[in-house]
Amino acid sequence: MFKNYFKTAFRNLVKHKVFSAINIFGLAIGIAACLMILQFVRFERSYDDFHINGDRIFRLQQDRYNEGKLSTQWAGGAAGVGVAVKESIPEVEAFARLKSADGVVSYGENKFREEKMYFANDGFLPMFSYNVILGKKEGALKEPNTAVITTAVAKKYFGNEDPLGKVISLNKDADFKVTAVVADMPLNTHLKFSVLFSYPTYVALTSPDAETTFNWDGFLTYVLLKESADPKKVEAKIAQAVERKVGEEYKKRNESVEYKLQPLKDIHLYSAYMSEAEPNGDGKAVNFLLIISIFIIVIAWINYVNLSTARSLERAREVGVRKVMGSYRLQLIRQFLFESLLINFLAVVLALIIIVASLPLFNSLTGKQITFSLLADVRFWLALVIIFIGGTFLSGLYPAFVLSSFRPIEVLKGKLSKTSHGAWLRQALVITQFAASVALMVGTFTIYRQLNYMKSQELGVEINQTLVFRGPSVTDSTYEKKLSAFKNELLLHPAIKKVTASSDVPGNKVGWNAGGIRLVGSDPNKSQQYRVFGVDHDFIEAYGLKIVKGRDFDEKFGSDSSAVVFNEAAIKLLGVNKPEDALNKKIDFWGEEFTIVGIVSNHHQESLKQDFDAYIFRLSPNADNYYSLKINAATGSVNDVIKTAEKKWATFFPGNPFEYFFLNDHFAAQYKADEQFGKTFGLFAFLAIIIACLGLFGLASFVTTQRTKEIGIRKISGASISSIVVLLTRDFIKPILIAFAIATPITYYLLIQWLQNYAFKTDVTFWMFLIPCLLILLIAVVTVSTQTIRAASASPVKSLRTE
Amino acid sequence: MIQLEHISKWYNTGAARTFVLKDINLTIKEGEFLSIMGPSGSGKSTLLNIIGMLDAPSEGSYQFMEQSVFTLKEKQRMELYKHNIGFIFQAYHLIDELTVYENIETPLLYQNIKGAERKAMVGDILDRFNMVGKKDLFPAQLSGGQQQLVGIARALIAKPKVLLADEPTGNLNSKQGEEIMELFKKINTEEGITIIQVTHSEKNAEYGNCKIDLLDGRIQQHIKENSSL
Repeated sequence: MFKNYFKTAFRNLVKHKVFSAINIFGLAIGIAACLMILQFVRFERSYDDFHINGDRIFRLQQDRYNEGKLSTQWAGGAAGVGVAVKESIPEVEAFARLKSADGVVSYGENKFREEKMYFANDGFLPMFSYNVILGKKEGALKEPNTAVITTAVAKKYFGNEDPLGKVISLNKDADFKVTAVVADMPLNTHLKFSVLFSYPTYVALTSPDAETTFNWDGFLTYVLLKESADPKKVEAKIAQAVERKVGEEYKKRNESVEYKLQPLKDIHLYSAYMSEAEPNGDGKAVNFLLIISIFIIVIAWINYVNLSTARSLERAREVGVRKVMGSYRLQLIRQFLFESLLINFLAVVLALIIIVASLPLFNSLTGKQITFSLLADVRFWLALVIIFIGGTFLSGLYPAFVLSSFRPIEVLKGKLSKTSHGAWLRQALVITQFAASVALMVGTFTIYRQLNYMKSQELGVEINQTLVFRGPSVTDSTYEKKLSAFKNELLLHPAIKKVTASSDVPGNKVGWNAGGIRLVGSDPNKSQQYRVFGVDHDFIEAYGLKIVKGRDFDEKFGSDSSAVVFNEAAIKLLGVNKPEDALNKKIDFWGEEFTIVGIVSNHHQESLKQDFDAYIFRLSPNADNYYSLKINAATGSVNDVIKTAEKKWATFFPGNPFEYFFLNDHFAAQYKADEQFGKTFGLFAFLAIIIACLGLFGLASFVTTQRTKEIGIRKISGASISSIVVLLTRDFIKPILIAFAIATPITYYLLIQWLQNYAFKTDVTFWMFLIPCLLILLIAVVTVSTQTIRAASASPVKSLRTE
Repeated sequence: MIQLEHISKWYNTGAARTFVLKDINLTIKEGEFLSIMGPSGSGKSTLLNIIGMLDAPSEGSYQFMEQSVFTLKEKQRMELYKHNIGFIFQAYHLIDELTVYENIETPLLYQNIKGAERKAMVGDILDRFNMVGKKDLFPAQLSGGQQQLVGIARALIAKPKVLLADEPTGNLNSKQGEEIMELFKKINTEEGITIIQVTHSEKNAEYGNCKIDLLDGRIQQHIKENSSL
């Protein structure tokens, strides 16, 4: 029996090649998209799953308030909060504290700049479940000058030698004995590290404040609560403990601070604060994708239903014949379900091919590596089987019931010329699909427009033709002199116009956030937080920052070490209305007095998502984070500049790796996430339009079959082909126009919401809606016409002879 | 074998009833070859469909082999139908996607007959109809007469007691038509299968041994034992 079903189904597929291809292709796209998104979502949600105590670990997230207003939100809290909480709250079993470190690690001749290094206390390793493979978790970071490294780092520095007991050096400032080795960590943890240095060393290198102060932020602090503890109650107790520690002091400054317990599992998807260990994922986007994936697969299934029922007239005769030959309805239902099974199976196979072929594209879209686990992952296959079985029944049952319900004498006598099965469903589906298509297409348009807008805006700072290299980490007391000599030698190169050293460069968030700054003589309770930019004498000129009032730093003025330059946003924050009034005013900066000697106009330090920030430029002739070289490519080759710089670098700053980047690339990297979002969106828009057109194709073919007789009669009465095409096509334009009417206001609203994420945004104009609508309308008309033209040109003799 | 009593069929059109069949009383004995004649719209096909259990009357009773057809449960009626009735259509109604062999085999599948037995039965009938060489062809590759032969083979494969034919030669030329009617006559006389055919053609009707004339849903005359034969 199944052989008979299989033969019928298979020969039907082959006979209607185009139809079958569309059907299978539509399903396969839906399945492939759904599976890939599910895998991505699963990965994003799997972050920090592997920590055994994960549900008891919380991060202390810190909000700071100035004059009752929220000023900064931190992933890392104050240095002292961990100790304070552990001491006074019995529910807190342990705490971990990390402060990021950077610079160059060296062992003998091997020296590399390492990323993701932290000073960590001894509580860190036992609390989390990173796999310690050499040495012991407990006590590994207890003593000063000890370090824990990963397998990859061990291999890099020591080859195959035993890493335990080896001594590495950080920036040649301090030496650390390796006490433990941790296996390289999985990708799905928000806290990745390469080297951990013991926290007591940090205290020794900086100040005892690093143990206890509440005035120093950016210390990632995690607590492990006891099994029975209620996080809400602990949160309240933390507030009390903090109040006891610094309540009085903060009240005087009119400040306050608040700590929230952030569940470990929530950090990757729902956290974007200052000093995050890495840029986190976006929970909203993940949920949005999940909804889209369900949407895509459901639409693909409904499309299958649509196309199958649309073809029901063709299959009706077969149903009649089979019934006359003694088939029960149940047997027919089984037959059509089997057919659905076959088609779904082919679609699943095609989907697998699509997935394998498009993984690189998908990885580049999402910026994730899904390949590593996909085909070996049981859950992937489970999802595949569920989609396959679910799809077979969900998409197969309805057509099976419709088809098997035909009464043989009607279909065999050709009396069945009209079925209204699911007409309403089909209309609603077409409207939904096209509304979604319009929304996605307009969305894609807007995202690219916004990206373009951001990239083309005047930044107020010169980032082109700029080569930046990371400053030396390993330095000594003669650094300032060396730097000056190094700069002078570089300037001898014909293509190098300017050289400047600074603590930050455009494209970075400025790392130093300083609070408590106010005008001398003003109310000590009204201080503000500013971002402080350490620069040398040449920075402002080299970067083309526009001086609005006053002057740049100048070596002619001996007192410039106590001079500062404000930008306009900083002046505003200071509470001075006219910039000129602020000129030559003195400010109190942590007890020291500085004079505002100049005011520069605002510049875009970060992407245009961010508003202008308040910056204080402070002279720091020994700034060593970044060196910027302004190049004139007309007078020499860039490659030559790099070669020369590297040579000089090696003689001036031995022991430091030479690393460089081009500033415009660095700045553009900030838009990577937006670009990925745009591409993902574009892909979905594309898929949605394809699927919508498949649905429309089904509908068109259904309706034209239904109206074959009417078309024949019209032709006999003298209607031209074109007038019939217009007549038939008009009916399809209506639901699409309704879709536009529904989609436009919703999309407009959503776009306005989305653009709120950007401090500087493009405008939303009517043609951004008009063009996608026209485009989709055109695609739809072409799709429908392929069906209607065929029907209209068919000979009426054929269509009217039903018996 | 077949007994129709007071069979009527009507449609409600607005307030009035339109009768397709009105008070039909008809008895058909085993081995008869009955032709139902009458002009278009006289109710011939409807009567045949009711006899074939594909349609239900609005009123009246129907005994098929001593069983009251319309009081049976759906499933029992289906069993009665599929073991005793074979249908033949004017438009052949073969399944386009199946070969000659597979088309003939399909009714056996619905009767759960085992593979080997099926093979033997289909082989046998192909042989009888001289179609062994065409068994792997698809309907579209056959002439009309050949297609109708396949249709008859399919109707006979399950060894029914009654063969119902709705204008079986309507789409065929006269030579092909004659061949089909000769075949019918042979089946009727040699195998004793009851045949009921609907036809417009007086000539075709004469192959049968009895005849009814329908007009506007009523039996005008019932000629038993066609004397002209």
